[in-house]
Amino acid sequence: MRGYLFKRLAQIVITFFLFLSAIFFLVDAQPGDYGNVFYSNPRLTPEQRQQLKANLGLDQPTWVRYTKWMSSFLQGDLGISFSNYPRPVIDVIAERAPRTIVLFMSATVVSFYFGFMAGKLLAWNRGGLVEYASTIGGVSLYTVFTPWFALIMIWVFAFRLGWFPIGKFIEPTAWIGAPTEVNDVFIRLIFTALIASVLLFTLLVSVGRLNTNQRRPATWIGMAVIAAGALIYWLNTGLGVYALDILWHLTLPIITLALISFAGSMLLTRNSMLETLREDYVLAARAKGISEKAIRDRHAARNAMLPVVTSFVFSLAFAIDGGVITETVFSWPGMGRTLLTAANAEDIPMVLGALVFTGTLALTAHLVADILYAYLDPRIRYA
Amino acid sequence: MTEPLLQVENLTMHYTTRAGELSAVDNVSFSLKKGEALGLVGESGCGKTSVALTVLKLLPENGYIKEGKIIVNGKDIVPYTEQEMRKVRWGEISMVFQAAMNALNPVYRVGDQIIEALEEHQPQMTNKEMKQKVTELFELVGLESALMDRFPHEFSGGMRQRAVIAMALSCGPDMIIADEPTTALDVIVQDSLLKEMREFQDQLGMAMIYISHDVGVIAEVSDRVGVMYAGRLAEMGTAEEIFHDPIHPYTMALMSSFPSTVGEKTDLVLLPGEPPDLLNPPTGCRFHPRCPYATDVCKEEQPEFKEHSPGHLAACWHPRGEQS
Ligand SMILES: Nc1ncnc2c1ncn2[C@@H]1O[C@H](COP(=O)(O)OP(=O)(O)OP(=O)(O)O)[C@@H](O)[C@H]1O
Ligand SMILES: [Mg+2]
Repeated sequence: MRGYLFKRLAQIVITFFLFLSAIFFLVDAQPGDYGNVFYSNPRLTPEQRQQLKANLGLDQPTWVRYTKWMSSFLQGDLGISFSNYPRPVIDVIAERAPRTIVLFMSATVVSFYFGFMAGKLLAWNRGGLVEYASTIGGVSLYTVFTPWFALIMIWVFAFRLGWFPIGKFIEPTAWIGAPTEVNDVFIRLIFTALIASVLLFTLLVSVGRLNTNQRRPATWIGMAVIAAGALIYWLNTGLGVYALDILWHLTLPIITLALISFAGSMLLTRNSMLETLREDYVLAARAKGISEKAIRDRHAARNAMLPVVTSFVFSLAFAIDGGVITETVFSWPGMGRTLLTAANAEDIPMVLGALVFTGTLALTAHLVADILYAYLDPRIRYA
Repeated sequence: MTEPLLQVENLTMHYTTRAGELSAVDNVSFSLKKGEALGLVGESGCGKTSVALTVLKLLPENGYIKEGKIIVNGKDIVPYTEQEMRKVRWGEISMVFQAAMNALNPVYRVGDQIIEALEEHQPQMTNKEMKQKVTELFELVGLESALMDRFPHEFSGGMRQRAVIAMALSCGPDMIIADEPTTALDVIVQDSLLKEMREFQDQLGMAMIYISHDVGVIAEVSDRVGVMYAGRLAEMGTAEEIFHDPIHPYTMALMSSFPSTVGEKTDLVLLPGEPPDLLNPPTGCRFHPRCPYATDVCKEEQPEFKEHSPGHLAACWHPRGEQS
């Protein structure tokens, strides 16, 4: 297991550097450069123009600039963003990346959770209207034109029904006089969710050691304790209302994104489960007289999960691609919109920064997939 | 005489297929007493696995019981719901599957898969007692108890087979159906495993149904033998009777292909032809197209499965090839 992970890690680091070089040269090969803003001024003399170019380092050959960019990158410096002057690119990413990650990660988790559940039930209860309807419905949503569907969702649920806010990350008027910054609350929210998930995972793993009849109550008590802990924390800090404001703004985009993509995981789970249902160990489990639910969940679905997990992690990585469009439609101030604005403004350091972020995310997802896979499949874990 | 553990009466089972109804088990009757070992032998595709799956009502979606009774400890389980079957399964009858290699779920530790059955049928046991029980079972089948924390892929074929047998023994069933328990193993492992199985069967006083296409395997372990042909029982009797005094020409052919019991009486060495298509089984006696003694009556009428001497039954118009 350790050897396997180490090998994957090494591969990922190499891939990352190849990726960095690729985006640098690709962006560099685009017509025009960020000096244009300055030297397009017709009153500049050719000498002054040359001087400006030299100041910006643009008179250097590509490979010199490449080594410079790489070595600053290794020191954690991605340069200054022009469109957010004078903020460093890293700073902008640190502010906006969590918003993007939270939005897309939650949407992907929700989408896969429901897709998995639906797919599992479809495979278990074959045939009938339900299968037909959910497949048609799911596939229609899957193939729908995303911005159009997102606008419909906003129009219906935010504009007409008023259940959710119309886009944006927060309601600025509600934050007047807030004791702290938006990002502070947001980071706390992320940590709450992270800690709660880790505790939940530990709980679920450890109840397995108990006797059968104690498992269910222990799970419920554990979950109640975790929920109570989170609640007490937010009540204590007095930031609960602000956290709720952010969550309220998150809901509609998450639902929209999840609706668009859940059919993929649903159909994948269904097919994978139809296959595991034919396995001999499922028949053997039935022969053992265990309950239908245990056969379905513990045996068939557990094994059907393996390909779904891979697909889950990859969609995490690629969800951000759609970020440019979705974030624009929902006026969500995340990395997708940042990339778009930066590209329009020829803010090259910011564009590179945003691409570095996407790449990092994709490669992290790969690593997570490997770890999850090894966790779920003992044949890999102990290879 | 005590009442039999299992009594199968006129069992008929069909699979619905695109090409029509496939008659996989037709009018099969047999019984099994406490502690007895019954062998079921027949060519591939004659319906042996189907009989086993029907007895546990583990048929696939397209398989259904058309007729008959399956009486387990005095109760007919044919009308039982899935819920009611759960107690019968593993508690009263457990099974060693034909593809025992794949009968273990790859993602769970082998010991945990046995504990899963114990949790279901012996909920009063504590975790510690269950571990203890698995240790005992592993020792019984000749596996080191430390192996219970390993995953199936870490086991060799023979070890998996033993683990699957330990699993079948776990809830103290009255009987075990072992479907080709050793077919996937090499001959030496096969031999020792069969002997051991016979030993724990006697030791634990369980009844067994051994299913195999291999006459040699059946000869080694069975008290009584049922010979199946094309979904029907052709003959049933003590091992002695089946091997040394077969009545049905199919049994005679089968025995003559088995080297150690060549009967001089038969002049059949190899069976001509193919086993019949169960979608369109032959009329009358299903064996008639391949039978050297077949006459018109064999083509038209199904022979009754009747007693020729006490406990020795056969379905044939021309027992031992006699032309009446
Ligand atoms: N699920 C199914 N649907 C349709 N037909 C089936 C199904 N399972 C088995 N059959 C058919 O039923 C007949 C009996 O099959 P079965 O598996 O019981 O035979 P078997 O004697 O166990 O053979 P083997 O020695 O190959 O295991 C075969 O003709 C087979 O093709
Ligand atoms: Mg079979």
